[in-house]
Amino acid sequence: MTNSKYKLTKEDFNQINKRSLFTYQLGWNYERMQASGYLYMILPQLRKMYGDGTPELKQMMKLHTQFFNTSPFFHTIITGFDLALEEKEGVASADAVNGIKTGLMGPFAPLGDTIFGSLVPAIMGTIAATMATEGHPWGILLWVAVAVVYDIFRWKQLEFAYKEGVKLITTMRDTLQAIIDAASVLGVFMMGALIATMINFEITWAPTIGEKVIDIQDIMNTIFPRLIPAVFTGFVFWLLGRKGMNSTKAILIIITLALALSAFGHFVLGMS
Amino acid sequence: MQWWQILLLTLYSFYQICDELTIVSSAGSPVFAGFVAGLVMGDLETGLFIGGSLQLMVLGVGTFGGASRIDATSGAVLATAFSVAQGIKPELAISTIAVPVAGLLVYTDILGRFTTTFFAHRVDAAIERFDYKGIERNYLLGVFPWGLSRALPVFLALAFGGGLVETMVKALEEPNFAWIAAGLTLAARMLPGLGFAILLHYLPVKRNLHYLATGFALTAMLTVLYGNISALGGAVAGIVGILPEDAGVTFVNNFKGLSMIGISVIGVLLAVLHYQNARRTVVAAPVSNVESGEIEDDEF
Repeated sequence: MTNSKYKLTKEDFNQINKRSLFTYQLGWNYERMQASGYLYMILPQLRKMYGDGTPELKQMMKLHTQFFNTSPFFHTIITGFDLALEEKEGVASADAVNGIKTGLMGPFAPLGDTIFGSLVPAIMGTIAATMATEGHPWGILLWVAVAVVYDIFRWKQLEFAYKEGVKLITTMRDTLQAIIDAASVLGVFMMGALIATMINFEITWAPTIGEKVIDIQDIMNTIFPRLIPAVFTGFVFWLLGRKGMNSTKAILIIITLALALSAFGHFVLGMS
Repeated sequence: MQWWQILLLTLYSFYQICDELTIVSSAGSPVFAGFVAGLVMGDLETGLFIGGSLQLMVLGVGTFGGASRIDATSGAVLATAFSVAQGIKPELAISTIAVPVAGLLVYTDILGRFTTTFFAHRVDAAIERFDYKGIERNYLLGVFPWGLSRALPVFLALAFGGGLVETMVKALEEPNFAWIAAGLTLAARMLPGLGFAILLHYLPVKRNLHYLATGFALTAMLTVLYGNISALGGAVAGIVGILPEDAGVTFVNNFKGLSMIGISVIGVLLAVLHYQNARRTVVAAPVSNVESGEIEDDEF
């Protein structure tokens, strides 16, 4: 078994990063998800390391088309560890490479989904959407600017991981957890703020008991302003926690509820 | 609708999903889609309103582990296009066009994800032949199933769906069905609540309930306060009425709505405090084990 003589260069990293940023999930499919994307991303480097037409190259190409799926925001960290190993040990590293890929894709997936899949779109989406509903497009530009920043982060992590090696993960874990927690605080706080501003309907039902008209909305406002949006979001939150509930069913329930209330004629629109 | 508008919106739909898969520049978000569709249709305000509302609806709906999600982005494109082209009220366009479209396009998404499997098998075959060009070509061809899963339904709806939408809107305009239109408008106003609730399910809300309550209470009170003050400003300006026009405008401009950026600054403050607190605990823990009581490593 021959060890690879090839040393990865700056150009190699740039090529991998380009392929990663601009094509990574285009081949995503149900069978092996990001696998062909992973192979495509490092194919030129595999060819350099193992040589064209060698059985080693075929073995590693096959290895890299095995099932793989992780966060598209962290996959090049895994690639960095992988390439450091393959460069040093060649095909002898096949088992270790497989272990790293399958072992790390799991932990990185929820990390990326939490930070970049939920929190960033939630916070930036909120800012962009609130500004948009008032007629300003600037929030969208702000979101694009944030996207540029995290794409730079994606560009940097490959070489960083390649140099630092696997031990990086243990040193990063505490910091990452603290960042996720802090970001969650911001997310939860902003949710409270949004519930108070973005859900705009109120009760117009004012039953008359004897001589007295009872204005329910007025009573609610006396207890606390914007109580209806809070109660409504609480209801949907509870609804989503029910067994067998998903967002599509919840949408249908909300539309039915709105139609029923409208047929009843008790809600008016246009709370400002 | 002009042919070039249909063409541009179809091309955008093709691009937006590829953007989501690669650089995630936010071009695939509903609010961006509303922005683009608004520009193409020549009514930016409607586009931004529809896109923004749909963005709030799907705030918490991310892609987790490759599951399909409702496609509010294409929903925003079609709702904006028809809202502008046929003069439908934006809120009505959201619940009659955007929401059903977003639900239906889950199926073309699934179809796209199936079709790429075909190309993955051709990559396997190319590996056997050491056909490097073949590997790369068959991988990149995956762009077509993905792009077309959005572009094709959007194109078909724009080119041939106009009549259907027109019939539907005409029906809703009948006095007998006014309650349906009102109900759908109410639904559009309720749907952001769904987005918030979904997102809250993904956030550690039980641990952070006090932050949720603070965010809500602070903003609710300030919104009402700001709302009342600007109403007051408008009323006073109306009564005074004798100010020269410029001065009148300047006067009313003093009464702006509540700034969400101000609210998020407070949110960031809380997050930073929380982060620093957490770091302090991390540093403090090993120190307590040191018997001498000396701080040996305070630079974690």
